[in-house]
Amino acid sequence: MTGSTGVLGALAAHLLGAGGLVLPHLNYSTILPELILLGGMLVILAASALSPRPLPTEVYATATVGLGIASLIASLVLWRDVTSHGAFTAIARSIDVDGFAVFFLVVVSCILIVAPMFAAGYLRREGITGCEYYVLALISGSGAMFMASANDLILIFLGLEILSIPLYVLAGLDHRREASGEAAMKYFVLGAFSSAIFVYGIALTYGATGSTNLAEIGAFLSRNVITSNGVLLGGLALLLVGFAFKVAAVPFHMWTPDVYQGAPTPATGFMAAMAKAGGFAALLRVFVSTFPTLRTSWQPVVWVLAILTLVLGAVVAIVQNDVKRMLAYSSINHAGFVLLGLEAATARGIAGSLYYVFVYSLLVLGSFAVVAAVGGNGDADHDISRYRGLGRRRPVLAVGFAILLLAQAGAPFTTGFFSKFYVVEAAVAAHSYALAVIAMGSAGVAAFFYLRVVFVMFSDVGIAGASDVSRGGGEIARAGAVAAEVREQDATLLGGAGASAVATLVAPAYVAAPELAPEGTPSEPEVSVSPWVTTGLVLCVGATLVFGIWPQPLVDFAHQATLIF
Amino acid sequence: MGSLDSYLPIFILFVLALAFAGLSIVASKLLAPQRPTSAKEAPYECGIVPAEAPPQRFPVRFYLVAMIFVIFDIEIIFLFPWAVVYNQLGRFGLVEIIVFAASVFFSFLYLVANGALDWGPVKRVRPVASEQSRTTTSTVRRVGHGTGEAA
Repeated sequence: MTGSTGVLGALAAHLLGAGGLVLPHLNYSTILPELILLGGMLVILAASALSPRPLPTEVYATATVGLGIASLIASLVLWRDVTSHGAFTAIARSIDVDGFAVFFLVVVSCILIVAPMFAAGYLRREGITGCEYYVLALISGSGAMFMASANDLILIFLGLEILSIPLYVLAGLDHRREASGEAAMKYFVLGAFSSAIFVYGIALTYGATGSTNLAEIGAFLSRNVITSNGVLLGGLALLLVGFAFKVAAVPFHMWTPDVYQGAPTPATGFMAAMAKAGGFAALLRVFVSTFPTLRTSWQPVVWVLAILTLVLGAVVAIVQNDVKRMLAYSSINHAGFVLLGLEAATARGIAGSLYYVFVYSLLVLGSFAVVAAVGGNGDADHDISRYRGLGRRRPVLAVGFAILLLAQAGAPFTTGFFSKFYVVEAAVAAHSYALAVIAMGSAGVAAFFYLRVVFVMFSDVGIAGASDVSRGGGEIARAGAVAAEVREQDATLLGGAGASAVATLVAPAYVAAPELAPEGTPSEPEVSVSPWVTTGLVLCVGATLVFGIWPQPLVDFAHQATLIF
Repeated sequence: MGSLDSYLPIFILFVLALAFAGLSIVASKLLAPQRPTSAKEAPYECGIVPAEAPPQRFPVRFYLVAMIFVIFDIEIIFLFPWAVVYNQLGRFGLVEIIVFAASVFFSFLYLVANGALDWGPVKRVRPVASEQSRTTTSTVRRVGHGTGEAA
């Protein structure tokens, strides 16, 4: 024992050096949102452990919503600091406090305000007691926040793990269902694998530049011209692969459909929103602000990733009859749109991506909440036939879902339209015309499968050939292309928005019509929606419509976020 | 290629590791006398010879105890160097270690409250579908209670 103390003492003396230990100045106010989430999480955990009888799930949900609001307020205070004093780094230069970081702090806070509402109704229905969902969501949120404000690759990796590990557990939350356990296992194995790739990327980048600090890496690269940069490019490639796994970009998307389908539906919505927010935050910061000198090297790769993601996400979603799986593929398609802003690598592009991530988070949370409600007890049946006649049985729910789906398709007067508009506009401004055309085409194709669900909800006829939808593939593609062309022409002029909307709305619905035929005895599943889910949906749909009609505040927020960073 | 020179020690270590593993296998094949008996080929050469096949499934509590051990193991790993340089770290170190220990303690609290340390038969919330032949009451002989029911 004394021997090892001596060794450690010598080691400590070596580390401390002659001048003593230099302690970092910890400015706790810069990580206040994260501290609120983690501290609150510990309190919830202690309350659940110490209470003599199990607390109802609504108590935990209320606490989580409260913590989300508190962290939102703390983030807005940081926003005020940044706008008045400018961006700064803190805690041994590993934390960036700039508009970019604070934007994502706000996004994560908003996700944490809405997600528990959807979870509360679901967990009560499925008989899952305990505080686990909420605690894991809070930890995951703090990880996403650390990723967004990290100024160091090591901290990004820590944030990535803090974000991901709770998500693996959330996927397997309903462990009595086999699909849930399978989803957790798949997500864990592939996620751990991608984390390992990411760390190796950090190692190579460190080897090539001599630092893990993003600012120092950027300074090193701007000072030195590296003639043979194989190690650095290798590191960059591995970093990109690690991020692409997390944000589900093709060809690293393989886990997404199975995990999204198998996980409990509110957990699916949460992981879709949170993993993309955290992943894109770090991806945008690392590539655009740290490696701008290597832009000619990574831009073509991102270009290919974006095209694959856009096309595969949209095309494969068409043939899905399971609405949950369809939304999983549609989330892949959305990831492609966010990559559009990264490929442009301009302030405009980043602003577009930021806006897209914000809008997408609320849309995907709301959509999966409706899927959870319609899916019924056991969360097993998400076939599109369950949605038949929903417009008559639950008109308000159906209208809400229709708005969320239309927004995802990019219909005007919703936030979805502006989100697609800004990233495509940024791609055009950066002269990526092919990419912009393909993005618009994929939006046209995507409109088909969103409108198919809307059409089914508001028609009382059954689906005859639900499984041979692919039969109409050619027609769909043509209609999609027509719609895309119209949109492409009009997209540059905001005034033509109405015409493009009509084209997107009408063309695919027209194709969908022949597939529908009357059916004999429709069994109508009961759909129950708890007040919690209703409140959350009102928030999501409200934000979609309000910021769709009055977009300026949110757009300005995204633009300011990139100006300061 | 100058930057790759610094990777040379890693490469040498890698070769050494491979060589050590290979040499060990070859040396034991060449040097050791090969007179196998059934006792030598058993998975574990020491201990009591099992009278019957061990159960295929272990109670999940063993893993929970292992997890608790790992949690406190990690805590000690951090506490030890902190104690060594306690004087230099001062108040900063004390606050940090209290925060760290508190969060570990909260997780321990959660584990205990969820029955991680409750041994013996527990009340099942839901019936188990399979494995009716082997239950906790049939396999666990409770000392002092004979083989009777728990409640």
